Amino acid sequence: MPSVSLVCEGFVGQATATAAGLGMPTLPPAVLPGHVDAQTDEELEANVLAAVDAVVRGLTADPEPAGVTAEPAAGAIVFEGTFDEVNRFFYEHEWSDGLPIVPPTVERVEEFLRFTDRDADEELGILLPDRRAATVWNVAVNGVLAGCRPEYMPVLVALVEAMADPRYGVEHSGNTPGSDTLIVLNGPIIKELGFNYEQGALRDGFQANTTVGRFWRLYLRNVAGFLPHKTDKGTFGNTWRVVLAENEDALARIGWTTVARDQGVTQENAVTVGRYTGGDVIVSVFGTRPEQMLPYLADALTKQTGWQLMFTVGMGTGSQRPLLVLSPILAETLAKAGLSKEDVRRLLYAEARMPAWKFERYIGEWTNLVPGRRTLVELVRAGEAPPVFAESEDPDRLVPIVCEPEDIMIAVSGDPLRTNAYGFVHNGILGYTVTKPIYAPSAASAPAAASRPSSTAAS
Amino acid sequence: MSATGSRETYAVVWPRGTKAVEIAELAPRLGTLEGKTVGELWDDLFRGDEIFPILRAELARRYPGIRFASYDRFGSTHGRDEHRVIAELPRKLEELEVDAVISGMAC
Repeated sequence: MPSVSLVCEGFVGQATATAAGLGMPTLPPAVLPGHVDAQTDEELEANVLAAVDAVVRGLTADPEPAGVTAEPAAGAIVFEGTFDEVNRFFYEHEWSDGLPIVPPTVERVEEFLRFTDRDADEELGILLPDRRAATVWNVAVNGVLAGCRPEYMPVLVALVEAMADPRYGVEHSGNTPGSDTLIVLNGPIIKELGFNYEQGALRDGFQANTTVGRFWRLYLRNVAGFLPHKTDKGTFGNTWRVVLAENEDALARIGWTTVARDQGVTQENAVTVGRYTGGDVIVSVFGTRPEQMLPYLADALTKQTGWQLMFTVGMGTGSQRPLLVLSPILAETLAKAGLSKEDVRRLLYAEARMPAWKFERYIGEWTNLVPGRRTLVELVRAGEAPPVFAESEDPDRLVPIVCEPEDIMIAVSGDPLRTNAYGFVHNGILGYTVTKPIYAPSAASAPAAASRPSSTAAS
Repeated sequence: MSATGSRETYAVVWPRGTKAVEIAELAPRLGTLEGKTVGELWDDLFRGDEIFPILRAELARRYPGIRFASYDRFGSTHGRDEHRVIAELPRKLEELEVDAVISGMAC
């Protein structure tokens, strides 16, 4: 069926690249100048009327055929050169993030493949927007690029399985909020591979945490196809985050569950991914009793949440899942008072509230992200929001920032002896929290069953 | 990796993945919009509720016999239900006898 897409001027590149990834490189756009949110009603009308010719043309005129660009086969040698020459080549081809990459030779990649039982050709998924195959082989290649050690391979495979899970929504990774993914790691693998889970838990400098975090964004670039100025439209963007490993010794001492177990994954070793729009440290959580500590923590979560409320009520109702990271001493203090993790969630849910009129401003008047400027009462009556948002019609009534207590995620990490916490605000369905188990190879030292992808066998 | 004098070199592999998409031929364009039904798809963002009425009015002025299937017949193409909405499109477009689609808003 013939179609035309209405595209604001700044997004034509992304539209073109995304259309190409869907196999329709000549799908016509009708371009609106500037950005519609910054235009008066009169300007908007004039701009829309000026685009009608393009709309008609898009629906009635056959576009010029597109050329086809040949690409290398999976596993093909694409260049030979010195370290500096390889880096320049990769940078010029947009396969590098600008930091030095480790040259991905066949030998290095095959070292990684020794740490998985899976065939190099195995497809883990197809990633948008480029619609490229995620394979065990190219996981290993990008692991080499990122400076990972070969033994991280099981973690990398699990991460790409999470990236390819439709619930995660990798196709949204180029959205304008420019959110970046946080990887939360659980299991004995934390200590086995040397991940930092104590002071400086979110700081670079620890090879495992840092390189695995870097791998995620390199993989988004090279296989999913997210490139700034093209398919990645983050207005500002964030750089990749180091992996957050939970302090499972602390969790065990207080009898709290891991993030992975909260997500319903029973295997010990697991990764959880979610996109977060930002976060802030919550400093000096003072007190020995929950009633002293939780109001401050709840206030911090509430203060950090604004336009993201569209994922509580609106575009992705019920999908907003803020993450609160407690240092072990804070978790232990709460647990000493007899609180389970579920208790903490429930109490935070009751405290993390804002006036209904403010909630409505965030999703309506200030952002127009939920069209129609409807009140929460109207949205509840239309069946588009849960009843908790309309327990009265008083605009000053306090409403929660998430739909259910279970929407608040809690992790334990960071300096065990400092009373700080960290709150991450979630990007809802545009990077929904997904957890995948990590499977170690049956015999890590055995040679890999397959080396280079079979597509290069003749080359 | 080989060494030529002091120049150590590396033969490196392609870091990308094979494209799993074939180029699809676009549906033939319509000869005219006169007498056709145009469907509207909206992602519930960026003033589509103001833009689509402007388009309708102007297209109806140019093509008096044109008909429209409004965006609210289909659901939002960007939200919690986007996969379901997209999956239902072929059936709904056929039921509503839509001939062409205007999709927005990419901002």
